Amino acid sequence: MAKLKREEWYDLTRATNWTPKYVTEEELFPEEMSGSRGIPAEVWETYDEPYKVVYSEYVETQREKDAGAYSVKAALERSQYVENADPGWVSTMVAHYGAIPLAEYAASTAEARMARFAKAPGNRNMAVFGMMDENRHGQIQLYFPHAYTKLSRQWDWASKAYHTNEWAAIAARSFFDDAMMTRDSVAVSIMLTFAFETGFTNMQFLGLAADAAQAGDHTFASLISSIQTDESRHAQQGGPSLKILIANGKKEEAQTMVDAAIWRAWKLFSALTGPAMDYYTPMEHRSQSFKEFMEEWIIAQFERQLIDLGLDKPWYWDILIRDLDITHHGMHMGIWYWRPTVWWNPAAGFGPKEREWLEEKYPGWNETFGECADVIVDNLLNGRPELTGPETLPTVCNMCQLPIVGVPGSKWDVKDYQLEYEGRLYHFGSEVDKWCFEIDPERYKGHLNFIDRFLAGHVQPPDLMGGLQYMGLAPGEMGDDAHGYEWVKAYSQPKTDAA
Amino acid sequence: MSEEAQAAPEPLKGLKTWSHLAGNRRRPSEYEVVSTNLHYHMDNQDNPWELDPNIPMAKWYRKYRNESPLKCDDWDAFRDPDQIIYRTYNILQDGQENYVQGLFDQMNDRGYDQMLQPEWMPVLAKLYTPGRYLFHALQLGSAYIHQMAPASTITNCATYQTADSLRWMTHTAYRTKELSNGFSGEGFGENERNIWENDPAWQGFRELAEKALIAWDWAESFVAINLVLKPAVEECLLVQLGDAGRHNGDTLLGLLNQAQMRDAERHRRWSTALVKMALETEGNKAVLQALLDKWVPLGDAAINAYCSAIPDSPDAAADAKEAVSNFRQSLGLN
Repeated sequence: MAKLKREEWYDLTRATNWTPKYVTEEELFPEEMSGSRGIPAEVWETYDEPYKVVYSEYVETQREKDAGAYSVKAALERSQYVENADPGWVSTMVAHYGAIPLAEYAASTAEARMARFAKAPGNRNMAVFGMMDENRHGQIQLYFPHAYTKLSRQWDWASKAYHTNEWAAIAARSFFDDAMMTRDSVAVSIMLTFAFETGFTNMQFLGLAADAAQAGDHTFASLISSIQTDESRHAQQGGPSLKILIANGKKEEAQTMVDAAIWRAWKLFSALTGPAMDYYTPMEHRSQSFKEFMEEWIIAQFERQLIDLGLDKPWYWDILIRDLDITHHGMHMGIWYWRPTVWWNPAAGFGPKEREWLEEKYPGWNETFGECADVIVDNLLNGRPELTGPETLPTVCNMCQLPIVGVPGSKWDVKDYQLEYEGRLYHFGSEVDKWCFEIDPERYKGHLNFIDRFLAGHVQPPDLMGGLQYMGLAPGEMGDDAHGYEWVKAYSQPKTDAA
Repeated sequence: MSEEAQAAPEPLKGLKTWSHLAGNRRRPSEYEVVSTNLHYHMDNQDNPWELDPNIPMAKWYRKYRNESPLKCDDWDAFRDPDQIIYRTYNILQDGQENYVQGLFDQMNDRGYDQMLQPEWMPVLAKLYTPGRYLFHALQLGSAYIHQMAPASTITNCATYQTADSLRWMTHTAYRTKELSNGFSGEGFGENERNIWENDPAWQGFRELAEKALIAWDWAESFVAINLVLKPAVEECLLVQLGDAGRHNGDTLLGLLNQAQMRDAERHRRWSTALVKMALETEGNKAVLQALLDKWVPLGDAAINAYCSAIPDSPDAAADAKEAVSNFRQSLGLN
């Protein structure tokens, strides 16, 4: 073969900066879009992407990957896996598909921001591939669930969720709009690719893939692990940006971006991924607990990477490690209790065996969250199902847009962290959420969370039915217990035996 | 059945497709299932993002997308005439790349560059290899159209167009290195930036590209890039230079440019479809024509400057201008 090796000519593909003459450099790369932070273009030209790929390699590899994922789907289509799967696992998929495809598609635009506005030519080219990857992830994760729309209207939410004011959709948009859609190119490389994609997509796509494989869902497993191979490539765009910022006296700013993005991602995952892994996925198919995944993919990975790059652990690291035992349980209790307000059917996940598992993975669960479960079980066993559903509204955080949660029961520590700013009172679920606001109040101050909207009269009539309507949820879409409360029977067993 | 049960709303049942496509008569194609109605940030025109409504990016999208003078009640109705999706794009372009990489391989095996005429080398150094910068400008401009287009079906066309532009730039970089290996005295791989920034042949394109890249209104960006800059680049760098190459023994350049022209033809098909749809709304013709009146003179000047430098091609500029003019007339515009 007489073809040149890639490394012989690769540098020419990123020798593409020129000095503009007919417009100014500031006009060509506006600071609000480029975010060069006063660091000159020549320095950004030293940006060296660790993963190098050229166009011909990209289209070949990606064609092969798609051939693999689509053929697994086609081969398994007749097995009617979804029709026969445990309803808890189906809920995991329905929640995933509502929360992910349109966000991934939007990430394509965040990549396009870098492809156009990065001053680093290597970043611009890699972002073209990143943009293509996210186009793939949007499309393939719409194509797969589309096969199930006939089974239930909840599957429609794969395409619908982001177009609604459903509270979890608001929370997801809040995070993704903040971390990737409204930031300059350099901030996107750090907040989206480094802080979010390096760790959190690993957890969503490899963690859930492990559970899926255990649950026998090979279509989903092969799909999302294929997606992760793209993520792990384009996630590497942030590292070189961080190196340049740190070497040019911008460490503090870089650290703040990393810290804010990791925290905001964690909060979203505590509501969407935590309950799926620890409550919805049938116990025998759980490969690890959500906390164990977090410890492996987030805590250990970031500690190592941040130190390697010369950054510090986020200031709130101890708070995060403590909250691994708390937040997602609180989110789960809230979601199950307010189940008509989500587009999936939350599995309660606290039958007697599941509680043993939870107590083993989270010592102390029984005397805290377990007390809530006790009350729910008691009400269901004694013919008071209406007491297991919502009547009031929770307090919602003005940063993460999620209910404010904490430890219930005898160790009660639920706290509303408040801040008054320019005459308005804001509520936060944690000190860290409040800190995220205080970094740049102008980004958030005029936003209304779901409760603010309720109080401002946007929700009419101002009751649960009005709220469901505002969220775009009709009967057939609203969530209910995934297993139709069958799990409660296990608690009535001893009484039956005695009788 | 009790009265109460009759009054309760019937639970929504599963559908054969997404609810937003369920009203269509035809069963949706894979293209429609995965491409339509994805820009959630078009829903709230006053505040595109789930953040304070006055952050800079909210102002940017309101001003340059939502308040664009080009109007349409339903941009989501746009369909790519080629119905390209990611999966098919890679199948298509992997095949195309096999062809081009095969050309590179075979030509190199035969010592192709060594057989090129010596007098052709300065032409390649001056008019071909600096094109890397201009193709990169197309990459940047297409990525901007991607992020500002008001419908996902438009964004997707710009997505693949961005990747195609990177493709052309990559081919140019590859050939630049090959030529530099064979001809050390021509400045291949070294002088391109200087030529792009200073040689009169490029200054028309450089001015047009730099100005088109800061045309922030999405419709103006589309007109400047897709209706003026790209057609001019394609007619000059691909068609006219490729033709000159064939007359000067450079078969490879002609074949390579022809292969890239297939991408360009696809880009023109979606541009044509978008203009056609836009013209259905009253007032848009005047908007588009005014934009063309502003940008076409820069396009013609770029063509004149570049084509006058192509040796032995006295008709190049006239042919290129006729071709871009024909394209715009086919859209119902001038």
